[in-house]
Amino acid sequence: MIVEQTLNALLLGAMYALVAVGFTLFFGVLDLVNFAHGEMAMLAAFTALSLFGLALGRTTDVPTGSLWALSAVAILAVGGIGVLTERVALRRLRAAPALLMLLATVGVSIVFREAVRLLYPAGSNPQVFPSLFPKGTVHLGPFGVPYDTLAILGVGWLLIVAADRFINRTRIGAMIRAVAQDREAALMMGIDLDRTIATTFFLGSSLGAVAGILNGAFYGIVRFDMGLLLAIKGFSAAVVGGLGSFYGALVGSLVLAAVETLTVAALPGGSQLRDVTSFLVVIGFLVFRPNGILGERSVEKV
Amino acid sequence: MLRRGFLVSLILIGVLALGLVPGTPAGPVEVVKIAFLGPLTGPNAPQGLGARNAFDLAIRQANASGRFPYRIEGLVLDDASDPATGRAAALKAVSDPAVVAATGHWNSPVAFATIEVFHEYRTPIIIWGAIHPDITRRGYPEVTRVAPTAEQETAVGARWVVRDLRLRRWSVVHDTTAYGTFTRDAFVGTARGFGAEILSVDGINVGDRDFSAVLTRIRSLNPEGLFFGGVVTEGALLRAQMVRLRIPAAFFSISGIFDDKFIEVATAAAAEGTLAIKPGVPLERIPTGRRFIEEYRRAGYREPYGAYGPYAYDATGIILDALRQVGPDRAKLVDAIRNIRYRGILGEITFDREGQTRLVAVTRYVVQDGKWTVWEDSEYAKGKRKIR
Repeated sequence: MIVEQTLNALLLGAMYALVAVGFTLFFGVLDLVNFAHGEMAMLAAFTALSLFGLALGRTTDVPTGSLWALSAVAILAVGGIGVLTERVALRRLRAAPALLMLLATVGVSIVFREAVRLLYPAGSNPQVFPSLFPKGTVHLGPFGVPYDTLAILGVGWLLIVAADRFINRTRIGAMIRAVAQDREAALMMGIDLDRTIATTFFLGSSLGAVAGILNGAFYGIVRFDMGLLLAIKGFSAAVVGGLGSFYGALVGSLVLAAVETLTVAALPGGSQLRDVTSFLVVIGFLVFRPNGILGERSVEKV
Repeated sequence: MLRRGFLVSLILIGVLALGLVPGTPAGPVEVVKIAFLGPLTGPNAPQGLGARNAFDLAIRQANASGRFPYRIEGLVLDDASDPATGRAAALKAVSDPAVVAATGHWNSPVAFATIEVFHEYRTPIIIWGAIHPDITRRGYPEVTRVAPTAEQETAVGARWVVRDLRLRRWSVVHDTTAYGTFTRDAFVGTARGFGAEILSVDGINVGDRDFSAVLTRIRSLNPEGLFFGGVVTEGALLRAQMVRLRIPAAFFSISGIFDDKFIEVATAAAAEGTLAIKPGVPLERIPTGRRFIEEYRRAGYREPYGAYGPYAYDATGIILDALRQVGPDRAKLVDAIRNIRYRGILGEITFDREGQTRLVAVTRYVVQDGKWTVWEDSEYAKGKRKIR
């Protein structure tokens, strides 16, 4: 049971981390809490669903291969939507007080959410999302682990490692880090600010998109307001870990997931208290260690 | 000064007297009205419109029968699923002196708001669709209900799975809404009464999607059955994750999950063997039901009668029956309805001390090959398949 609950926590942690990484990237590069970030996950799930419907004529019983290909298209498309959002709604506010940009992201998030609710057929209702992974179970000694759990754990954490490599090992990653550290100095070194920020939005949004699609594939259901829930958890994870710190987002996600799983597993009546305990942890961090576990920057701007 | 005051009062008295004349039952009563309240607009309109048609059908048949020495009229009022609108509609109904009784409501919050009005004006109301157990527990003699509550339904279901299917060790998961907690209490109470052991009780929030932690804990208790008190989405996710974690227990729930969406979300493979119970009987299976379907069809209503149409039809029938016994008098109707013995579509309706129907006709279902199948027709009942 302990091994399995640990797996449950790791899975939940991977989902949170994919969203939290985006929050931390945006905060690092733009000093911005992007409240529209959760909607990228939701948009990805619904874009994928629409693509399944358009290209295959149905959303169930379709070959996994084409689902994967179309999901990839959806993820890239949402990365593009992220870039577009920045270009249209945020770029012109870059010099304005930080609060304005923050409000703009809240507005963008409402627009996306309500657009899906109104434009997608029966958009207020939960939509069935096909499973992207084969059914079945791997037996590891006494434990049976379903394929999809393993696959999601694998895909999730692999992408996070890849994002880490991208940021820390590539030239573009170096530009992102440079802008995050000191925007003026980066400009003086000849870094194209607009392009770097656009790249960051593409990266962050497509990671959030992956979270949305994995979420849909795992639970089998997506809803127009799923982005909001993911955003709250992802943002909280980023705050606990330390906004602006890449590893902080990972650690924060794992801490939140562990707290939630532990609450349900160990406390009597814990399943209705999971959000209570996890947000108590968030509040605790905000009060006693506002910089988070690994964070060094101040979060006063939020 | 005195003269003028006298004149004014004289005129006032005259006006009042004139105004009162048509209202006083000087001659024989010509029109008696029965009010209908329900959601005719908004998201629940399909429920309300079907019930309204059934109500209308009952009144048309009563007028055609020639058994009433006066014409009966329906006063149809929209409650829009909103307590304030419902209250205004109720006030409109009770302030019409021709209205002798009412039937109403699909939404419990609306019913809570209007029963106060009907109680205050001593006007009987029969609830056809709102199923919160407390509606009939205010101690109002005017309020009765023909639809079985979630509690009654759950109790019948618990008897089935514990006594008849001999599943003794149960884990309970419920959502934290009123619906979830009422059904939890009804299940736990009844199941224990039939000798079941309740191993765990867990509440979940509506909107939660990840139940793996709570299910992992439940699996270690090794229950024979898992009862879920809640509605479609959480129920389907719970069932799917239960199968994913290979918990070899039966899954039983109430009408809250009875929907094709449950099978779609959980997937047919995972939903296989899910047990559920639903109030009502498929009407085409019983003669009274077939007659209702036929008469409803012949009347040519545009909307289908819906899940609660038959209840609204019976509620109206009870009012008409009482009306024939005691005549158009609100106070007498209150008692007559309380003590009625009425042959309705689903069986004989009588009311208990609270005014709640004693008739709890339910149908048992099991998911077989991706379809909700009546238990008696299923391969599970014949022993060809096992639910665990």
